[in-house]
Amino acid sequence: MKINIKKLINTIVISGCVLTASAQEPGQIFKASGTPEHPKVEISWNRYYDYEGHVEIAKKLAKAYPDLVKLEVIGKTAQGRDLILLAITDYKSGGDPDRKPGMYIDGNIHSNEIQGTEFASYTAWYLAESFGENKFIRDLLHDKIFYIVPSINPDGRDNFIHQPNNANSPRSGMIPVDNDRDGAVNEDGFDDLDGDGNITMMRRKDPNGRYTIDPDNPRRMIRVGPDEKGDYDLLGWEGIDNDGDGLVNEDGEGYYDPNRDWAWNWQPNYIQSGAYKYPFSLPENRAVADFVMKHPNIAAAQSYHNNGGMILRGPGAAEDEGTYNREDVQVYDALGKKGEELIPGYKYLVVYKDLYSVFGGELDWFYGDRGIYTFSNELWNNFLMYDKPDDEGRNSATPYQFNKDLLFNDAFVDWKPYHHPQYGDIEIGGFKKNFGRMHPGFLLESDAHRNMAFTFYHCFETPKLEISDVEVKDLGSGLKQVTATVANVRMMPTHASQDLKYHIEVPDVISLSGAKVIAGMVVKDKDLNIATEQKNDPAHIKVDNIPGMNKVVVRWIVNGGSKYTITVDSKKGGLVSLTK
Amino acid sequence: MIRKFYVTLFAFAVTLSGAMAQDYSTYAALSNRVQALAKQYPSLVKVKSLTQTLGNKDIWMITIGTGNTAEKPAIAVVGGVEGSHLLGVELAMGFAEDLLAQSTTDSIKNLLNQQTFYVFPNMSPDATEQYFAKLKYARSGNAKATDDDRDGKVNEDGFEDLNGDGEITMMRVEDPTGEWMTSAEDPRIMVKADVSKGEKGKYLLFTEGIDNDHDGAFNEDGEGGVAFNKNMSYNYPNFVSGSGEHMVSEKENRALLDFLFNAYNVYAVVSFGPYNNLSKPVSFNKAGVSKRIISSWYQDDVDVNQLVSKTYHQIIKEKNAPETPNLHGDFADWAYFHYGRFSFSTPGWWVPQTKPDTTLKQKALTDKNGEANYLRWAQQQKIEGSFTPWTVVKHPDFPNQKVEVGGVDPFVMMNPPYKMVPELVKEHTTFIEALAKMAPNLDVAHVKTEKLDDGITRISLDVINTGALATQTKVGEKTNWVKDIHVTLQSNGQVLAGKANQTIDAIVGYGSEPLSWLLKASGKVTITIESPANGKKTISLNL
Repeated sequence: MKINIKKLINTIVISGCVLTASAQEPGQIFKASGTPEHPKVEISWNRYYDYEGHVEIAKKLAKAYPDLVKLEVIGKTAQGRDLILLAITDYKSGGDPDRKPGMYIDGNIHSNEIQGTEFASYTAWYLAESFGENKFIRDLLHDKIFYIVPSINPDGRDNFIHQPNNANSPRSGMIPVDNDRDGAVNEDGFDDLDGDGNITMMRRKDPNGRYTIDPDNPRRMIRVGPDEKGDYDLLGWEGIDNDGDGLVNEDGEGYYDPNRDWAWNWQPNYIQSGAYKYPFSLPENRAVADFVMKHPNIAAAQSYHNNGGMILRGPGAAEDEGTYNREDVQVYDALGKKGEELIPGYKYLVVYKDLYSVFGGELDWFYGDRGIYTFSNELWNNFLMYDKPDDEGRNSATPYQFNKDLLFNDAFVDWKPYHHPQYGDIEIGGFKKNFGRMHPGFLLESDAHRNMAFTFYHCFETPKLEISDVEVKDLGSGLKQVTATVANVRMMPTHASQDLKYHIEVPDVISLSGAKVIAGMVVKDKDLNIATEQKNDPAHIKVDNIPGMNKVVVRWIVNGGSKYTITVDSKKGGLVSLTK
Repeated sequence: MIRKFYVTLFAFAVTLSGAMAQDYSTYAALSNRVQALAKQYPSLVKVKSLTQTLGNKDIWMITIGTGNTAEKPAIAVVGGVEGSHLLGVELAMGFAEDLLAQSTTDSIKNLLNQQTFYVFPNMSPDATEQYFAKLKYARSGNAKATDDDRDGKVNEDGFEDLNGDGEITMMRVEDPTGEWMTSAEDPRIMVKADVSKGEKGKYLLFTEGIDNDHDGAFNEDGEGGVAFNKNMSYNYPNFVSGSGEHMVSEKENRALLDFLFNAYNVYAVVSFGPYNNLSKPVSFNKAGVSKRIISSWYQDDVDVNQLVSKTYHQIIKEKNAPETPNLHGDFADWAYFHYGRFSFSTPGWWVPQTKPDTTLKQKALTDKNGEANYLRWAQQQKIEGSFTPWTVVKHPDFPNQKVEVGGVDPFVMMNPPYKMVPELVKEHTTFIEALAKMAPNLDVAHVKTEKLDDGITRISLDVINTGALATQTKVGEKTNWVKDIHVTLQSNGQVLAGKANQTIDAIVGYGSEPLSWLLKASGKVTITIESPANGKKTISLNL
């Protein structure tokens, strides 16, 4: 019942906000640079939206911009919700939309890491609302297509938002798992003892305790030094031993990790904690994987997590180090370094080296199995509080200070007494679930914009093919030599080296029509006339790769014809044609 | 007179459709056999289709047992693991039929009261059907359209029956660059020339067909998609022909796994396929269990494999099985390493090692691929249709060269003549029944209550495993998908020491685990010891 009231209030707030905005006349608004001036869909980007809320945004965008935004349901979640995807491009120009180089974006794979959904939704909104007034966006959507799954884990999203949780819970999806293997499922999770919707901490006065109250900040508990006497014990998260096995909160919601479910070097849960039954045994991930396999034009991908301020690339596992070779690392490095510039306080890092070694992650499947350059951004860190690094570590005082100075203690549940059935007289208090890993409202739009800019850069650098030169030379007796130069004017190759290694995608095909083709060849050196002939089917010359910021030259000997059409068909580079 | 004739004919037909199959079963015939069991033993058999393949064939699951079958310890029996291994289908299906045929005997009646059998007769029905097709060839892949050579075209270069005999064998081309020559042991067999021994090749060797897509490779992308036994998550081969686009991508694999992961009562998986740890048990490799990704069975589980293999040898007459081939993404390995269950597998039959016939001045054979041995055995057994003599054909890709088609026929080296099958089924049924008798089983011993003082009682007991197999595998101790033994104590009082609710890891065969509690309680105390794969034991005490 409580949930329904909350939802109701949310709906009223959203619709109320639309009414207020439409009350303002266009003439009363003065454009802030870089932000759409008169958005058709008014959205406040300083708060979070639950499942229905984010679907509503997507629906409004699709309705307001039918030529730019298409809403698709790509599958059902474990609890039966629709898993939505927004396909955003200029549907009126640039050819077959699903042949344009694609950028895939998702957020919220971990249930508690919800702001990725707002970042992804902001991106969709920004693309649609800026299209009319910004040439860069127009060009981008002419050339490329964005596939955006704002929340890849809607069940978990709503649990985080509507059920009592802390900032870290639940990480898991919502399919019940018997974590303690006693035959009972989810029988001992958190208990919201004070009924405030937040799972905070429990502390108890103890003359032999190892903690005390920070004299500089009375909300913060600190560990006393080895030679000091404390006066408090910390008893963990709010909860009781519901099943009487001597453990508190040991079998709660889930537990499996949707980001250990991907079918590249997947390992079972005794090797990789968090793995579910088998790769893609989670319906949400399977729906995305099936979509990606049907869209070989996806050349770049981004997933949003929290937190730590990191721009992560694979490999996830040390065992996979050899998968990422030098050519690809160069592309990743160039993109990642740019990301560090665009998003101050974020660091470009490699998962297995700089974070932890992990199997079955999403970014490894995208790259390892599909050859797609992929990043995972860990959104938000303490740097953003005062725009300076915070080196104090896990129990830093900075968030307490920030909560006091800038949020006026809105993020903290003050300590208060409680009588616990197992621990006796204790106190409950701590940060609310919306603080610590999530952006406060006033920083949400700013960071969403910066991260979006990084994805635009990433997308911009997917291959763009141009037939830059066609040279026709008369060889006499009706024979002509046609030489075509195909350039890739962006940084990414049409095939990542992982792709080349396993032939994940088919070669790029450069073909000639308009004459009878006698012979065809790939020209290695035009000046010295070094070429490799393709004996079989010479009208369709196969090239393994068109490298970034580079070109390939192909040549045909043809009989007859005066107008020739050259076509380049590249799964990740698109379809380009020129008649001369 | 005529009526009598029809009656006889009818009786004959009934016999045919019953247990007495005369050849390997088509999909339709197998489906009939499956349904016939459900009809004949309605109280013991439940039949279900787990899924339909892309080739519109049901993946059958036969549940054999009594009462609440999901709550009794179970063995899963899996056939059709490898699509060209028709025998595996027969062994699984035949097991179900033979077991049920004995269901009126006391021993099997008793077994079916205590345990459940899940039989999956054929995991590769799209592939096995190729055995009965107009064009017969050994096939592993299902009906998914795959681009095996990853050139953007699907199924564009399959086999061609160049000699028109309805089956695909080999094709040799006389060529100065050829690396192959005829074997000195049997001139019908082709072997690779060993340059270091001064041998020189004379032939190119391909499978029978044309290079339809002119890419230089023969028959590399024909009908036949993803192989069940290459698509599992353990040791999965990425981007190999037949392995699929990613692990566990196929409906067959997913459907079976979706069932098995929820079947916590399964303690052992018996599969019939190329993997063989019954003729020769796995050996322990310490380095293999000390890495993050383990590649060896744990010692305790190796001990169990040795015991079970010994039982297999006592029942199965044929010895000298070949080594397990090098497998990747296979089912039997998955069943141990990722499912955490005891996994036992055998091809069920292999070509016996022949003895040279001295009267014919034969010598012992040394050939590696076993073809010469097979031909000698086939000759000794007077088996027809085992070899297609090399005959010259015209070949568009080699217009000016001598091309011959011939070689050992498909299927014959993995699938014996059908007349041998009933005996093999009988032996393997006996083996699975023997395995079931080794099942782990929970009991208690040495139950003791000691009054200490004023309402304080110490209860102690040993949880014992009366079975020869451990209550779970060592690898199963680590996974979420195997349940521990769960012990609960209910009383009206207080537990002062020990846990009212606890779990126990693996107890080895005939092993025990001591437990004790200190209680401040009176009256009735109930202790329940249970695990889905080991059964349940309840003790009631009165303090």
